[in-house]
Amino acid sequence: MARVVVDPITRIEGHLRIEAVIEGGRITDAYSSGTMVRGFEKILKGRDPRDAWAFVERACGVCTTVHALASVRCVEDALKISVPKNAELIRNLMFCAQMVQDHVVHFYHLHALDWVDIVSALKADPAATSTLAQSISNWPKSSPGYFSDLQKRLKTFVDSGQLGIFANGYWGHPAYKLPPEANLMAVAHYLEALEWQKEIVRIHTIFGGKNPHPNYLVGGVPCSINLEDVNAINTERLNHVGKLINDAMTFVNQVYIPDLMAIAGFYKDWGAIGGGLRNYMSYGDLPTVGYNQPDSYKFPRGAILDRNLNEVFEVNGRDGEEIKEYISHSWYKYQAGDEKGLHPWQGETEFNFTGPKPPFEQLNVEGKYSWLKTPRWKDHPMEVGPLARLLVAFGKGNTEVKDVVVDALGRLAVPIDALFSTLGRTAARGLETKLVVNWMKGFYDDLLANIRNGQVSTFTREKWEPSTWPAECEGVGMTEAPRGALAHWIRIRDGKIDNYQLVVPSTWNASPRDGKGQRSAYEESLLGTPVANSEQPVEILRTIHSFDPCLACAVHLYDPEGQHIHRIEIN
Amino acid sequence: MMSNQESAGILILGIGNMLMGDEGVGVHVIEKLSGVELPRGVECLDGGTGSFLLLDPMQRARKVILIDATVDGAAPGTVRRLTPQYAKDYPRTLTAHDIGLKDLLDAFYLLGDRPQVVLFAVSIPPPREMHIGISPEVERAVPRIVRMVLEEAATGVGGVSA
Repeated sequence: MARVVVDPITRIEGHLRIEAVIEGGRITDAYSSGTMVRGFEKILKGRDPRDAWAFVERACGVCTTVHALASVRCVEDALKISVPKNAELIRNLMFCAQMVQDHVVHFYHLHALDWVDIVSALKADPAATSTLAQSISNWPKSSPGYFSDLQKRLKTFVDSGQLGIFANGYWGHPAYKLPPEANLMAVAHYLEALEWQKEIVRIHTIFGGKNPHPNYLVGGVPCSINLEDVNAINTERLNHVGKLINDAMTFVNQVYIPDLMAIAGFYKDWGAIGGGLRNYMSYGDLPTVGYNQPDSYKFPRGAILDRNLNEVFEVNGRDGEEIKEYISHSWYKYQAGDEKGLHPWQGETEFNFTGPKPPFEQLNVEGKYSWLKTPRWKDHPMEVGPLARLLVAFGKGNTEVKDVVVDALGRLAVPIDALFSTLGRTAARGLETKLVVNWMKGFYDDLLANIRNGQVSTFTREKWEPSTWPAECEGVGMTEAPRGALAHWIRIRDGKIDNYQLVVPSTWNASPRDGKGQRSAYEESLLGTPVANSEQPVEILRTIHSFDPCLACAVHLYDPEGQHIHRIEIN
Repeated sequence: MMSNQESAGILILGIGNMLMGDEGVGVHVIEKLSGVELPRGVECLDGGTGSFLLLDPMQRARKVILIDATVDGAAPGTVRRLTPQYAKDYPRTLTAHDIGLKDLLDAFYLLGDRPQVVLFAVSIPPPREMHIGISPEVERAVPRIVRMVLEEAATGVGGVSA
């Protein structure tokens, strides 16, 4: 029996470590540990609730906007503020821009190298690559000369001994199945995506004033609309947004989706690997008639148990019996005992590190082994993320979602059960990107129509002053980060934050098991995964990366000197 | 390259997470610089831990002056001026944002356009719990870092380099 330790799997926003037990070439057990402490709750206590967004936005370099959105929503929920329609539309546009950018970056820069062999691309025939590219898409950058130039640059880069971004892949591993031409095409799109992603996020600068930390505002959005004013959201800026949305639709439909389908075709066996949990949850997002009307959301809210798509359960973030966090295996302590589950409004953040001093060989998984708490919905472990969002929408009978899912399954000639897998998770991310760029265009058109009708309000001052607030109140701000259900819970007392708790998507997916021994999504999804060579566990990366672990930029495994680390122990 | 803005020339980019104490020293330096009148063609940016989001501003600049924390065992507040070429030339940072930034710099080689990069690496103790604000040792180094950064900016693009 070998125990493989992969640490870190990501380098951003909470380092993640996976320990997997391999017997007879398959994973028989797995442990997921968040090895970096969080402590937002302590930073926020006593501050002005209207400022919280600016602090939580710093949680992560990737998810800045979604944390800010969850934050302003929880304050508005507590104070019963409804934002003007234009503010809802602008927030939706920022949400969509972030999701589309993040999903593209995930596919090409964080996940593709689990499937694409960079070194093999050097062997590709540029003319055949051109034929391949033109057979799957109308994207214009597809001439033999284009691929030939790129291959030369890649060769110079690799020959210089500076693999850099491509260092530490398991190049030549037999699990890589793409022909050299598909690999070269993917490298071309890796670089094109890098150039493209910086355009779409200009939407954050336009509406949020700056990037990477755009401004948010309790009660609306911090930008005014005035078509003639150079400092406001004017005609020029709106035209720019329109162009960025059109370019995004083109890139997603002509590059991302064709690549996804082409690559998936070579890895259909991964449609039966990595399924893991049978429960899925989405808080939903993209409101069309207000945050308090989840039935109006483009992404519906709900939970699915035991993969039964015929029944979608209601999810209520305010119900003290639904969402609770456990710490049986987490380095915290609760006043009423570590076996209790606490609803986030009652949440406590007291550290209780009992683990080994780093560096260490192995975690004591019988005891506490992670800095992540273990959230449960009605005591069930839930998977969150793009797949959960699509399944909940599918279960609710959303025809837009059903159509793209059924079409993709048909084109790949795989059964619906293939959704419950590593491949399904990666495909779901692409399919929802296609939906989101379309919705984005709709929100943009609605915003223009409102402005033409003379509606320019973006902020409500009602309840801005703390003198108008109740002495005590509580709220929950739910959203969908690219990697899954995200919510902030706030209690306000005498105008100050009394308690603030974040339950982030990677907590749902990457948490340790609960007191009953139920695994969370990462741990469960690794069970049964084949590992051809435990020295090069690319299969573990495929499944864990399919969740888009909360990371911005870790392409593969690095230690601080730039080497990948994983240790093998034979017990 | 698509760009809706003129090249900034020189970009002073502070990197770090202000919620992680000393780790946010780069961002603190940018805050100090925001009160200083900068020469023409020099811009400041609080990069946070922005990773991919920083590609655009970095690509638009001809020279990037980075300020980042490093956990290298040297006395807290020690400042080193480095001119890294590749990802492997960067000092150990231990923090969550290092890979993204280094990856971007390597990506510039493949994208065919690379700014000159000067890094001021500020030694800090290993970060512990999240908290806001920097330690007195690192705080004392901030005016010196500001001075070094401004002197570097004054040398212009392609200026004196190690």
